[in-house]
Amino acid sequence: MGKNIGIFLCDCGRSLKNIDFEMVRKKAAEFQNAAHVGLSSGLCLKEGLEEMVSAIRGKDVNWVVIAACSPVLKETVFRRALEEAGLNSNPLSMANIREQCSWVHETDVTEKALEMIRMAVNRVRLLKKSRREEVEVTRGVLVVGGGFSGMKSALQISRLGLKPTLVERAPTLGGEGFYVAKPSPEEIIGSMAKAIEEDENIEVFTEASVVKVDGDVGNFSVRIRRGEEEFYRKLGAIIFATGQMTEIPSADFKQTPGIVSEQELVKTLQTPEKLSRRPETIVFVLGLSGESSRLSTLSVLNNALAVKERLGSEVYVFCKNLKVDSEGVEALYREARNRGVVFLKFEGKPKIESCEDGRVRIEAKELLLADEVALFCDLLVVETKTPSSKGAEALSSMLKAGSDSQGFYQDENVYLYPVSSRRKGIFFVGSCRGDLDLTRTWMDVSSVAMNVYELLSGGKARVEGDKVKAEPDRCQACLTCIRVCPHSAIRLVRLERSKEAKQLFMNEKRDVAQIYNLACDECGICTSICPAKAIEFSGFSDEQILAEIEAMEEGRIVVFCCAESAYPVVDSVGKLGIHYPPQIRVISVPCVGRVDLIHILKAFEKGAAGVLVMGCQEGACQHLEGNIRAKERVKYAQGLLQEMGMDRENVKVVNLGPGMAWRFAEEVSKVAERIEEGRR
Amino acid sequence: MIIAERKPFEEIWNMVAGYKKMLVIGCGTCVTICWAGGEKEVGILSSQLRLVASRERKELSIIESTVERQCETEMVQELRDKAQEVEAILSMGCGVGVQTIADVFEEKPVFPALNTTFIGMPQGEGVWIERCAACGDCLLCWTGGICPAARCAKGLLNGPCGGTRRGGKCEIDPEKDCAWVLTYRRLEKQGRLHLMERYYEPKNYRAVKRPGKIEVIRK
Repeated sequence: MGKNIGIFLCDCGRSLKNIDFEMVRKKAAEFQNAAHVGLSSGLCLKEGLEEMVSAIRGKDVNWVVIAACSPVLKETVFRRALEEAGLNSNPLSMANIREQCSWVHETDVTEKALEMIRMAVNRVRLLKKSRREEVEVTRGVLVVGGGFSGMKSALQISRLGLKPTLVERAPTLGGEGFYVAKPSPEEIIGSMAKAIEEDENIEVFTEASVVKVDGDVGNFSVRIRRGEEEFYRKLGAIIFATGQMTEIPSADFKQTPGIVSEQELVKTLQTPEKLSRRPETIVFVLGLSGESSRLSTLSVLNNALAVKERLGSEVYVFCKNLKVDSEGVEALYREARNRGVVFLKFEGKPKIESCEDGRVRIEAKELLLADEVALFCDLLVVETKTPSSKGAEALSSMLKAGSDSQGFYQDENVYLYPVSSRRKGIFFVGSCRGDLDLTRTWMDVSSVAMNVYELLSGGKARVEGDKVKAEPDRCQACLTCIRVCPHSAIRLVRLERSKEAKQLFMNEKRDVAQIYNLACDECGICTSICPAKAIEFSGFSDEQILAEIEAMEEGRIVVFCCAESAYPVVDSVGKLGIHYPPQIRVISVPCVGRVDLIHILKAFEKGAAGVLVMGCQEGACQHLEGNIRAKERVKYAQGLLQEMGMDRENVKVVNLGPGMAWRFAEEVSKVAERIEEGRR
Repeated sequence: MIIAERKPFEEIWNMVAGYKKMLVIGCGTCVTICWAGGEKEVGILSSQLRLVASRERKELSIIESTVERQCETEMVQELRDKAQEVEAILSMGCGVGVQTIADVFEEKPVFPALNTTFIGMPQGEGVWIERCAACGDCLLCWTGGICPAARCAKGLLNGPCGGTRRGGKCEIDPEKDCAWVLTYRRLEKQGRLHLMERYYEPKNYRAVKRPGKIEVIRK
């Protein structure tokens, strides 16, 4: 089959009046390998699509360029049309001549449109047909932690027909996150534990821990140790429901008989008859060191009411702030006040001492009274602190699953909420990932169940074969990609050398990096950083990006845009009809982490006047650090320009969030003006 | 592994300015791994050279090529055709690579684009640290596997200098660990602290006669 490019133009219902489509059609027909140039007024409509497909068939077209609106809007429509017609949809490239050309200029932009089409043509020439692959995945799921969220997750997943394996460190299920007198822990936890026991689908290991995990999403191999025994399981996904440890921070108190934890209080409340005498005054303290959690507010209010009901004691709550944003907690607070619970808002650190008669004295500065308040009580109930458990920490770091600035698991990243981690197939639910109440934990559980179901239920996952691939013969096994991959999708494997390489080398096998397709999120960070240029990112290879630059005229300002964030912003500039300088040319990249020094330098070699790299705002990169890497790389590129005696400000990084259309226009205009001034 | 870093651009430019046709050779082994002279770096440096040449209106064309190991005569010889086309060669290998190329293509001027700095290892992404001073008389068996010659700023052989900072840092560079504190802790873990008391004669740093040569004769 020859190399035939089909170019399809759409004038969007003849609305793009500042482009001379007849001229474009004539000039595009002269492009090398152009087999067909079609013009439609509604390419995305049924007739337009049918016309396109029949032209592709009739002219033996194997590369398709569509010059129309933004790919964000219609790319999937076009791809689907190609696929439905039995054609491979990958060799398709779009020139966004509506949002990024016609709509942002008042004057005639036929030349700009042509240049954009030439960029798309250059790119499409290097696109290969894609190959869909199916990867076998295991339908088992590892749930680490047998507390509320772990048990709930296991039950939910089992109901969806998957096979959970629940691993709990303690001898019994139940966890220790939540202690309220009503309903009793037994009522909530007991019924769930029973349901798990009765469910044949759920495998439970108690007094056990996960000691090793290898592999990736779909096929983790997990080693579980119980006493001396070890068990191996092949599991498709991992759910962390490790909750939190509860302990009374020793730095806050000297432990004496009068000072108890919520947990101990609940036990007392369940068997009040065992008490030698009824406590007359009970004081709860909240927020002694650091911020108190939603769960502890909930249990203090709940237990204060239970004390009133069952013991009738005087109840005081010393607190800094009550977190009443969980469902029903505001009502609980009001009820407590109505029942006579006294809330005291303290400042600083209260003085707590045990008296000789067994009572405890607490003295603190009350904010509203602006005075010291001292109280004697029979029981002082302290909030338990909740550090994450040590074992879970080790497991999380072994899995490189990430954690946030507060010490909870899960990175602070908008793309990961609510339950995903930086690694595909690893999830977090419940209080291990944040300060959650029961309702929120419930939502986590439903969310994780759906995620896991989507991933594993079919027993197979579809991926695009070799989308990002490390060439074994070029790889030097320097481990750089393995260290930088934000999704931990790359491993070192021992591979047989290729036939040609075998003639050169004595050892037939060697260690090379291998990218696991299902775990890869296609950001291209590895491709950019590989010092041996061994990683090929199909669709965004160096050659393809440079081919787009090659198609540009001199004096352009090249703007590399993250397809997730900045590209849609540039589109919205068009939608708002904001104008910007005509020399701007946008190149879409999957993540700005893909933009490499060589792209920047080659742009200047090609005669570009400036380069802008536009990605997400910091902390909002889908690949966690792509935009930070871009920032570092641009800084490095500025250094390179400077040592060559060029203006370092000619390359710049810009962070764009949704709705920052004006900022885009401002930034590109500023750069254009600077360059203009420099010329004068 | 051999660690190197690229020379400042100006220095490189001053070496090669004036040549119209050049071959820039990368090395696929150590200096690729330490991000100094692999295929990617060859691309970057070549691009910089072309840019400056065009700004200064000088004619310059560059052939870019990276060999698996510049220190192998056979591998460098593969580039003979390319070398014949050019006026000068810029090597992005370590000092050994530069010399191999210079030996193979004696008729061409060969310039180094890197400064070869030390023998070391990666400490994480993009950080390399020295570990071996290539002294030719290895003492690691006595020092808990921590080299005093390479890792003590003063190369002391009999314990720390007395200037060790709080936290076991070096008095010369507070960023770096005192090699002797590390040694002490390591030996302590192994229950071999008595080795700290061993006395070392002044070290013969000339155990390797320059230029060094080792002949391994396979029986």
